[in-house]
Amino acid sequence: MAILIDENTRVLVQGITGNVGSFQTGIMQDYGTNTVAGVTPGKGGTEIFGIPVYDLVEEAVRERHVDAAISFVPARFAKDAAMEVIGSSIPLLVLTTDGMPDQDVLTILRYAALKGTTVLGPDTPGLISPGKCKLGVHPHTMFMKGPVGIVSKSGSLSYEVGRLLTESGIGQSTVVGIGGGPIWGLSQESVLRMFEEDPETEAIVLLGEVGGRLEHDAAYFISLYMKKPVIALIVGRMAPEGVQMGHAGAIIEGEEGTAASKIKALKKAGAIIASSSLNIPELIKKVEV
Amino acid sequence: MRLLEFQAKRLLAEKEISIPKGALISSPNDLQKIVFPALLKAQVPVGGRGKAGAIKRVEQAQEALPVLDEMLASTIKGHPVQAVLAEDPVEVIGEVYVAYLTDKQANMPLLMASSAGGVDIEEVAHTTPELIIKRHIDPFVGVQDYELRFLAKALQIVDLQAFADFIRKICAASQELDATLLEINPLALTPSGLIALDAKILLDDKASYRHQQLFSQLKDEQKKFDRTAKTKAVELAEERQINYVSLKGNIGMIADGAGTGMLTLDMIYDMGARPANFCEMGGMANAEIMQRTIEVVLADKRVEVLVISLIGGLTRMDEMAEGIVRYLKDNDQSVPIVIRMCGTKADIGLPMLRGMGLDAFEDLATTVRTAVEQARNL
Repeated sequence: MAILIDENTRVLVQGITGNVGSFQTGIMQDYGTNTVAGVTPGKGGTEIFGIPVYDLVEEAVRERHVDAAISFVPARFAKDAAMEVIGSSIPLLVLTTDGMPDQDVLTILRYAALKGTTVLGPDTPGLISPGKCKLGVHPHTMFMKGPVGIVSKSGSLSYEVGRLLTESGIGQSTVVGIGGGPIWGLSQESVLRMFEEDPETEAIVLLGEVGGRLEHDAAYFISLYMKKPVIALIVGRMAPEGVQMGHAGAIIEGEEGTAASKIKALKKAGAIIASSSLNIPELIKKVEV
Repeated sequence: MRLLEFQAKRLLAEKEISIPKGALISSPNDLQKIVFPALLKAQVPVGGRGKAGAIKRVEQAQEALPVLDEMLASTIKGHPVQAVLAEDPVEVIGEVYVAYLTDKQANMPLLMASSAGGVDIEEVAHTTPELIIKRHIDPFVGVQDYELRFLAKALQIVDLQAFADFIRKICAASQELDATLLEINPLALTPSGLIALDAKILLDDKASYRHQQLFSQLKDEQKKFDRTAKTKAVELAEERQINYVSLKGNIGMIADGAGTGMLTLDMIYDMGARPANFCEMGGMANAEIMQRTIEVVLADKRVEVLVISLIGGLTRMDEMAEGIVRYLKDNDQSVPIVIRMCGTKADIGLPMLRGMGLDAFEDLATTVRTAVEQARNL
């Protein structure tokens, strides 16, 4: 498998009968994702796209065997839904929900750590392993199978770079969005480690942005652990200090959060710096994957 | 939402946390509300007020009037003073720092304390980091007595019981209010117990649905006191809760994702032009949000060309196109609009835009280049 998912992954969709949930489930289904169950409380016993719908995650797990869950549940109810997945010991949860209170996210992540569930997100587009499985909302025509792993804070930026690579004939092993909120589960370092250990990934693209010290931590990890080439792009180069550029963390407070200081740290760690998204395909070709 | 000091203290008092006695003064006519001697504290949402001259001690009314006049007319670090909090001075034996916040790196609530109270904590972290004590509080376990004994010992606090009681109250208040930061600096040790001399509270806007009445009351109050000059676009964006940042150029920008929004700005700069703003709609935008967002960005009359940068995952491009079409039906097109559109349902959205005679491309670089050239040729 690439990382985290493959064509055999059995998927459960939470909020499958909602507007967004049903629309995205249809697209995942067309892509070939093996969706085996859906959950919407009160809609148990029905079917959507031939997928059985259950009232409770526990029922779905008992009857269908589930490897991963993806949640399209709105913020207000998302904590309960996530706790239900973790309580049922499903190993992977993709939390697409945007706008959950921090306190709810902390509770979910703590419970997940206790029960051994990997949580991607919240506020993540999810992940896609082109040609194998799409567990998320990616516009899949922008991606194709190949040797490049992408890890990104921003969902939209990972689509953009996936599209540029695909147009240049360079495919991707897995594309992971870690989530745009202030707090999130699966870390950038964990994804980098998975890519390093994945035989199908030959090079990694790391997409970051201004604010916080995320990329400084990634740089430290790269210097210690990564042998495969890492190409990094930091966006928001010209962002003024002290204003929030969309994501909760994308705010420059002090020297550490500037693009220049992140680029310096990544460069020192041995990463190859892309000055623009447009340079990434050519930099990948140079490292000969 | 960052609360003003008097708002934070009012919330603390409601949670039975001791604060100095005081009165809120919004005009020199309120002078009779002040009990002398008093500390006059300008209510602005920034730190370092002491050094900035925003806190002054006055002994009697005659002395207070000119100080009050000057303070209410002043601007502290870009914030016009909205009101002044007049407080009874407190007899202080010692000062410490305590805060309850979210540690975003460990994904855990964090209790932070320092014996260096009354000083900017960033400065303490920089010069004497050994004076800062950090203890993670597991949400499933809560604050344990031994943690409080540990903190009290480190801060050399004698009255353990009062301290433990105080810390438990601020942890509970923070959780009940959905605060992302509750900072008491300084916490004064006085002959009559522990008193919060200053308080900074950040509330989690994402949790506003759990505290609707309280959050809207606090927001209304801030609006009432806010005399910051705002452009029409900023005002409209705040009203509509749209993520908008004003910049200095002439190219307006709207994106459906923060990452591509920042990338689009970088490209505008790289091509030698300057963006007028940053604006991001988030992944759940629909036609209505698209339309309202264009209205916000074009309320800024410096905008000479508008770039709309859309790459649909969760956002549906048919809906985005619908929003743009609706805007153009309701308004005269005042500036050229150049659109990048690809992704989910772009096969429907793109023909809608092109049918209206708009410049719409699938490629971002082409879009930005076209917009920059149009701005140059104006």
